[in-house]
Amino acid sequence: MKETIYTPYSPLQAPRAFGREILHDLRLVHHIGWQLFRRNLRVQIRQNLLGYFWMLLPPILTGLTWTYLGKNHIIQGYDATAGPYPAYVLAGLFIWQGFVEALNCPLQQLQSARGTIAKVKVPHEAFIVAGMGMVLFNQAIRMLILAAVLVWFHIPWHASLLLVPVGLGLLLVLGLALGWLLTPVSLLYADISSAVSMALGFWFLITPIVYTPPKAAAWLTVLNPVTPLLTTTRNWVLTGEMAPAAGFGLVAVMAVGLLGASWLVYRLARPHLIARL
Amino acid sequence: MPATATSEPVVQVRNLSKKFCGHLRTSLWYGLRDIAAETWPRRHRPAAGLRRAEFWSLQDVSFELHRGEALAIIGANGAGKSTLLKLLNGLIKPDTGSIRLLGQVGALIELGVGLDPVLTGRENVFVRAALMGFSRAGIAPLLPAIIEFTGLGEAIDMPVQFYSSGMVSRLAYAVAAHLHPDILLVDEVLAVGDFDFQRKCINHMMSYLAAGGSLILVSHQPHHIQSICRRGVVLDKGRITFSGTATEALDYYFSQQLAALAAADSATGAGATLSEARPVAIEGVALAGQVAGTAVQVGDEVELTLTYQSFRARENAGWAFFIHTSDGHVCITGAYSPQPTMLLAGQHTLSCRLPNLPLTAGDYLVKTVIFEFESLQPLALWGWENSPTRLQIVDTASLATNAQKMVQQLITVPVTWP
Repeated sequence: MKETIYTPYSPLQAPRAFGREILHDLRLVHHIGWQLFRRNLRVQIRQNLLGYFWMLLPPILTGLTWTYLGKNHIIQGYDATAGPYPAYVLAGLFIWQGFVEALNCPLQQLQSARGTIAKVKVPHEAFIVAGMGMVLFNQAIRMLILAAVLVWFHIPWHASLLLVPVGLGLLLVLGLALGWLLTPVSLLYADISSAVSMALGFWFLITPIVYTPPKAAAWLTVLNPVTPLLTTTRNWVLTGEMAPAAGFGLVAVMAVGLLGASWLVYRLARPHLIARL
Repeated sequence: MPATATSEPVVQVRNLSKKFCGHLRTSLWYGLRDIAAETWPRRHRPAAGLRRAEFWSLQDVSFELHRGEALAIIGANGAGKSTLLKLLNGLIKPDTGSIRLLGQVGALIELGVGLDPVLTGRENVFVRAALMGFSRAGIAPLLPAIIEFTGLGEAIDMPVQFYSSGMVSRLAYAVAAHLHPDILLVDEVLAVGDFDFQRKCINHMMSYLAAGGSLILVSHQPHHIQSICRRGVVLDKGRITFSGTATEALDYYFSQQLAALAAADSATGAGATLSEARPVAIEGVALAGQVAGTAVQVGDEVELTLTYQSFRARENAGWAFFIHTSDGHVCITGAYSPQPTMLLAGQHTLSCRLPNLPLTAGDYLVKTVIFEFESLQPLALWGWENSPTRLQIVDTASLATNAQKMVQQLITVPVTWP
């Protein structure tokens, strides 16, 4: 019979038991997460008259807006070697949106499940898995629209397209890791989510999404961990350039490491958060 | 049948304490510090004392529970019952002491939690089961039985937002009832259901216990506690103040409540000055049987004496008494004075005799009222807004009296057998 012991001590002081608890939860996470994902999708469709249309509309509208701005030369500093401007903007925006959604995912999911996690013993990871399911679903829709744009602008299909899921995946990992790391503090203090939405506006501007930043601001883009992942993935989509941008490997390794650390910190923080929800 | 106390306990709680902070900002700051301490275990020594603005929600709580046993946790609001269930469910951590659990724990706490209002009852069965760790494939074969248990009929395919709170309880309880955990924690979930649902739940809990399950029940309904639990503990301000059988625990809890009420009455001056606005007050109700002391022997004649104080002489008054169960919820019997009575100015008494009191052994409460005979408007109450008088009926122990206790028999009636 399964034995469970609760004491005031940190689980890190009994690493074996902690590991067993994590494994037990992981076995549950996938099917709870899947059920919650199905629920979220159904609720989203059922509450809207136009259903899936609302998932297609925002990326189409953003794409059209930036294409219009580009065609009228409102945006300066675009590197024409990277392909037609609308395709450049859409690829950059769609990849960035995945990162932003992944970053917001843990806090959004756990905030909306506040009532449940305070009362029901359930692996919180399941809510994040369900949320990431929605992020992947939305990202898949955006990629389908991007594929249509490639066809429309007669952009050739390169072998590097096969690497795109890797690039996208790493950006989602980076977003999720940063979002999850901030979640324990964000669940306690509302200031964090306000600060994050403000920071994301600034972050958008120092990332080469809708324009190539001027050389004067190059140091900012170098320090920006999103830059190598985003530019490399966009190159894999548009130009077929296989070689990753400088810093790609380092950021990839850091993202994966940070995700593990964020997860561990959240698990340790969980009972203290529930006591204050 | 319930397992014996010699088997290994499935729940062992040792010197358990939990503290909370009563100030929000300070609590958030302590939260951050506790999280930091958790991630740096070498420096982490769980704090045994209270920090500024903290209080003990639970303190030094210890008990055990064996297979097949049901334990009632009884206490007033804020006594620490829900904190204890949260600790047992592993949602929050103890600050001192430990909990050891053997087997899978299931919890029925706030049944509506986790249900999505937009989805139908049927869809929510899968969501609820998933939250309790069961896959879609695992729950699908149980679906017909779960729907049958809910008794919701065609409403099972309606969105849950159109359900009443009782229907939500039916749905959530039905899911939990079919998942068979080893230890079941139940927190006041039957209160919103109708009598049919409550009966169903009590039957389910009884069969769950008979099958070797263990149950911890938090309830304010003495009927539920006495139906399900053999043992009970009373929590008061986070500490266990009584541990014994469920009936003893309830009795202790109610007597403590009555004592607190009486103390409050004397502190606020229940026998305050009379006036035209408050013309009559009942100052006391006494019961006397043939046995000396406060207890009355089963079948004895009992004299009930009411002491009143009247501002002025008053004609056309009536008076009545009512005998209630020890929890005050059920009125077993009562009687009204058949003729109008004259109330005299000053302190006087009214009395009546109850020959062959038909009550079985146990504790009861007596409430009285003086009223205007014609209109039945009460002039003075005893036992409703203040503590009622306690009536203790005793009997010699026998097989018959034990059987009466088991079935919670309240009265005996003369019977002629063929």
